[in-house]
Amino acid sequence: MSSTTREEVLRHLTAVVELQPPVQKTGKAPYPTDITHELFRAYTRSPHDVGGEVDVPCEWTEEEHEAWGHRAYVTTECLAWRGVWCAEERRRMQNVDLGTSQYLGLPYYGRWLLSAARILVDGHHVSLTELINKIDEVKKRHEPA
Amino acid sequence: MSQHDRTHHAKIATGKGDPQCFKGTAGPAKFKVGDQVRIKNLPDIFYTRCQVYTRGAVGVVAVVTHESPAPEDEAWGHVDQSEWFYIVRFKQKDLWPEYPANFPNDTLQTEFSERWLESV
Amino acid sequence: MSNDHDHDHDHGHGHKPPAPMVDEISDFEALEIAVRELAIEKGLFTAEDHRRFTEFAEHIGPTPAARMVAKAWLDPEYKKQCLTDAIKASFAVGVDWLNPTGFGTPSDYTDLRVLEDTPTMHHVVVCTLCSCYPRPILGFQPEWYRTPNYRRRLVRWPRQVLAEFGLTLPPEVEVRVEDSNQKCRFIVMPMRPAGTEGWTEDQLTEIVTRDCLIGVALPKPGMTTNIPLPVHKPAKPAHH
Repeated sequence: MSSTTREEVLRHLTAVVELQPPVQKTGKAPYPTDITHELFRAYTRSPHDVGGEVDVPCEWTEEEHEAWGHRAYVTTECLAWRGVWCAEERRRMQNVDLGTSQYLGLPYYGRWLLSAARILVDGHHVSLTELINKIDEVKKRHEPA
Repeated sequence: MSQHDRTHHAKIATGKGDPQCFKGTAGPAKFKVGDQVRIKNLPDIFYTRCQVYTRGAVGVVAVVTHESPAPEDEAWGHVDQSEWFYIVRFKQKDLWPEYPANFPNDTLQTEFSERWLESV
Repeated sequence: MSNDHDHDHDHGHGHKPPAPMVDEISDFEALEIAVRELAIEKGLFTAEDHRRFTEFAEHIGPTPAARMVAKAWLDPEYKKQCLTDAIKASFAVGVDWLNPTGFGTPSDYTDLRVLEDTPTMHHVVVCTLCSCYPRPILGFQPEWYRTPNYRRRLVRWPRQVLAEFGLTLPPEVEVRVEDSNQKCRFIVMPMRPAGTEGWTEDQLTEIVTRDCLIGVALPKPGMTTNIPLPVHKPAKPAHH
């Protein structure tokens, strides 16, 4: 059990470096004078604002959604239905607050799901401790005996 | 964060819809259909729904749509102030320097809250 | 996403046997269950709310929007209503935009606009910022509509993107891109094609596909399905 966790930890420490943009691989925070206006704007941009960016033709595909993805969508809409947040708060948290790396790297409904988890905590409906414990409990429920 | 009163939106919008629930809350519209407008390059720190690709471009108001809180405010649950919204139409050749010259009539339109528009 | 059960090698201190009877779940599934259970436990919404909204979501699709266009082709007065008050016009095709909450769906709002194609104008819709889409009358977006790729390119290279969907338009036709970035929601009303004289509303509805209502295809007699594309299948699909 513990060696599996240690292996996961060591794999994680390698994986996160892969997500780091080359411009940041210096191990130091940049000097303020290194940040041009273009870089400042690029770093503080809203990640969802992609219109007009250069991209290449790709194969257009359809996708049948995972059951969890659709349930997550319904959950976010129910949270808004009952006034926990509104759709625009969700979009901000889901499409911008996550940051560019998660925005481009996670599945579509994965981001809906993360924002739903986030509003529970940010809205003080659930403590992070409660969320951590619940996720742990759910995972243990589904572990093989 | 979201409103403390979780029943607020249902109270104001049931039977009406959203953005209809904000009708009458923004005062007079500053612009009308046909007005030439330029998109302001306000700081877009933390959140914006005014696309960067439109900033500084000049277009024409095509439709005055509705009143609503601006998304930059609604994204933090602030719904006490509303603005008029406008669909603004641009010529593609005014947005993109490399847009092919043999399609001079192509257009693009998108929607802005009033704070993003200035008269030309 | 990841399954941590690697049975290809022996750990030496207790090999985990495969457990086909156990419901293995991904990180996403675990989080989804956790969030939904916590929300219900804390009284944020009820299980019944989730069921009701799920049922609403399972019953939406593109047919009402297709029928709206077909009706508009047959009835000039209805067409006028579609172009001036599309929310009201939606009732005639069985869509009440205030459903299922009484004030609409939180993400789709209640301001539908119909974009009328003409012989010199073709519309196509995108939401560059996310994937805003008129779900109550059109169902769920195709995956390609949500991609950063479509959202980056349609606003700047629309004719190239349309050509990739098989649609080429002559230069004298204005291609108008609608970037749906606020609370308005849009469907395209394409022109009625030749070869449909005397058709019934049902027949016309059949050829107004979802792709036509987004604007990446034009309706044609005999074309009753969307452009055939590869379909990515889920690991664990929803059962409807």
